[in-house]
Amino acid sequence: MTTCDRRTVLKTLAGASMLAAAPGLTLAQGAGTFRIGALNPVTGAGGPYGGGMQKMIVAAVEAVNAAGGAGGRKLEVFAEDTQTQPQAAVLAAKKLIEINKVQAVLGTWASGVSLAVVPLTNDANIFLMHCSGAPALSGPPANAKGLGYRFQATNDQFGRAFAEICAREGFKRPATMAFNNASGIGNTEGFRKAWEKKGNKVVETVVYEPSQPSYRSELQKVLAAKPDVIVMGSYLADTTIILREWFQTGENQKWIIPGWAANPDLIKALGNEVTEGLISVESVSNEQSQAFKIYDAAYQKAMKQSGLNNAYAAMTWDMVTVLALALEAAGPNADIAAVNAKLREVANPPGKQVSGFAEGKEALKAGKINYEGASSVLDFDQFGDVTPDFGVSFVSKGQLSRKYIVKI
Amino acid sequence: MEAYFVAIAIIVAIYTLLALGLNLQYGLTGLINFGHVGFMCVGAYTAALLAEQGWPAPLSFLAAAILAALAAYPLGLVSLKLRDDYFAIVSLGFSEVVRIVVTSERWLTNGVQGIPGIPKLMGFTGSGLVQASAVLLLLIAVNIVVILVMRRIVHSPFGRIIEAIRDNEDAVKALGKEPVGFKVRVLMLGAALAGIAGAFYAHYIGYVAPDQFIPLITFQIWMAIIMGGVGRVSGALVGTVILMAFLEGSRFLRDVVPFISEVEMASVRLGVVGLALILFTLYRPQGLMGDFTRR
Repeated sequence: MTTCDRRTVLKTLAGASMLAAAPGLTLAQGAGTFRIGALNPVTGAGGPYGGGMQKMIVAAVEAVNAAGGAGGRKLEVFAEDTQTQPQAAVLAAKKLIEINKVQAVLGTWASGVSLAVVPLTNDANIFLMHCSGAPALSGPPANAKGLGYRFQATNDQFGRAFAEICAREGFKRPATMAFNNASGIGNTEGFRKAWEKKGNKVVETVVYEPSQPSYRSELQKVLAAKPDVIVMGSYLADTTIILREWFQTGENQKWIIPGWAANPDLIKALGNEVTEGLISVESVSNEQSQAFKIYDAAYQKAMKQSGLNNAYAAMTWDMVTVLALALEAAGPNADIAAVNAKLREVANPPGKQVSGFAEGKEALKAGKINYEGASSVLDFDQFGDVTPDFGVSFVSKGQLSRKYIVKI
Repeated sequence: MEAYFVAIAIIVAIYTLLALGLNLQYGLTGLINFGHVGFMCVGAYTAALLAEQGWPAPLSFLAAAILAALAAYPLGLVSLKLRDDYFAIVSLGFSEVVRIVVTSERWLTNGVQGIPGIPKLMGFTGSGLVQASAVLLLLIAVNIVVILVMRRIVHSPFGRIIEAIRDNEDAVKALGKEPVGFKVRVLMLGAALAGIAGAFYAHYIGYVAPDQFIPLITFQIWMAIIMGGVGRVSGALVGTVILMAFLEGSRFLRDVVPFISEVEMASVRLGVVGLALILFTLYRPQGLMGDFTRR
């Protein structure tokens, strides 16, 4: 009885798996298109950003195609979810590379995910453009072929910016608190290195575990060292709890917090009194630029909110735009190596400053261009990293206002 | 195209190893182990660290299995006093402890940055598809050996006793058998399998970091054996195939159903897996391959 059942089941299974495989064979892979894989953290820890990142890849591709395509080719997007998990990301990347035959993978977010995906894109000789902070992604082996591009500041750069601000504000006894992941610790370790290089000392270093209802004991440990400023490598949820508990202790330190945690949501959650005087540091989206305005319009159309809310979406927008410009510059039927050779040429000076694909395509006819992106001025160094500037904002009466810009 | 299916098959084979271990513990012995991923984590880090030191793969795999099994020993002693739900809580806690230790001991594990660049297995066969296929063949061979051993265990006196422990531990005691030793051995055996699976995983993904070893993995294995059939060796295999068909198949669903964006699909995917799980427990609680007549 059961044997019979099992056979039927196996047959059904075999049938189902063939059905599942069939569309893979008939996928439209029109000749003369450049295929892009949008591999974003739609679910998991990156969930708050992933959806917007993916939609901006699609929107930027539409903009490129509306301008007649790049290098005589239309762009085509295949979207996948990394689930912010390396294993799911590896399978998704395999699918994009093997079945959809993409020629670039755009928008991986967590460092762990990018580190797991980069061997695959290297093996396939295609681009990986990511928003991860881990320093290991800059050099070999991860970026041995020079096909990896980072659109986000490294955690080290953030740390150096924090140290500059500390010195400028005249703090003497900084302590650090870091969320226990690569990004959180990267920020505070980067700070410690840069700060000690200036001949100073960090009075206390605390690393805390995520998702706790309370951080009192960690806070007490930090406060016991009597710091005059606390430098954070944190996210929104934990920062909210920590600051609330800190305020209850009645102490009065200053706080330096990354921009993705110290944002209007934080102020709304805690109120004006608690957040007064917080220092928020972020890599400056190139907000005053024309490119940002174009991106912002697209973001508002797709997500019904301001493009300022998602710095990573501005990065994915830039990824498509700069890639398309390089395709255009390399000309019809260029292979990946030829496109790669043009990538820095269209993004870095010298050249006519341009803010969007259509404008850049026109300008390319006349000569060299320099794309100034929505996420940063987007100049790549020899490792494929950008060096953004950092905006320093102070909270006053519930409003974030930028006081100055730190260059590192 | 082939390489993608080989990649999926490799993940299925790794999950099958995990499922076989859990099936031994829960399906046959009735130990509700919610900490399976902890042993996988021990195995993965052991293999990764030893590979970094230049150990040959067979030795580092052996070490991964042994260390994972040793890690299960204290948990086995805990299971003396705790049954069912309580053991489930402790084992879940155990896997989190493993993850936090791995996160914190930065001198050894490089903390949250993880260990990148773990060499691929079977590198001598070449690269690309050939190498991946070689890994898959090796995994299939390991799975076959494990399945044969499992079948042997089920039909042995040892197998009868652990099934008796599952069905009625007090009766086993009354008959003069001490369940403790059996439980500890079952836990260690299952953990060793998870350790080997972890070693394969580390070499295949090429990168290990603590946030890969979250309880979600444990529960995916649970889903697999529940859908496949608890207590059946074949259930572990079929269950993993079904699970992977759901998780990966939904990618292709989107290619033929164009109006669902990936952003929506991510939620649909989880919803479908959840629905399938509910339908299974409602209409086929014994799982696809299951046979609950003996319980």
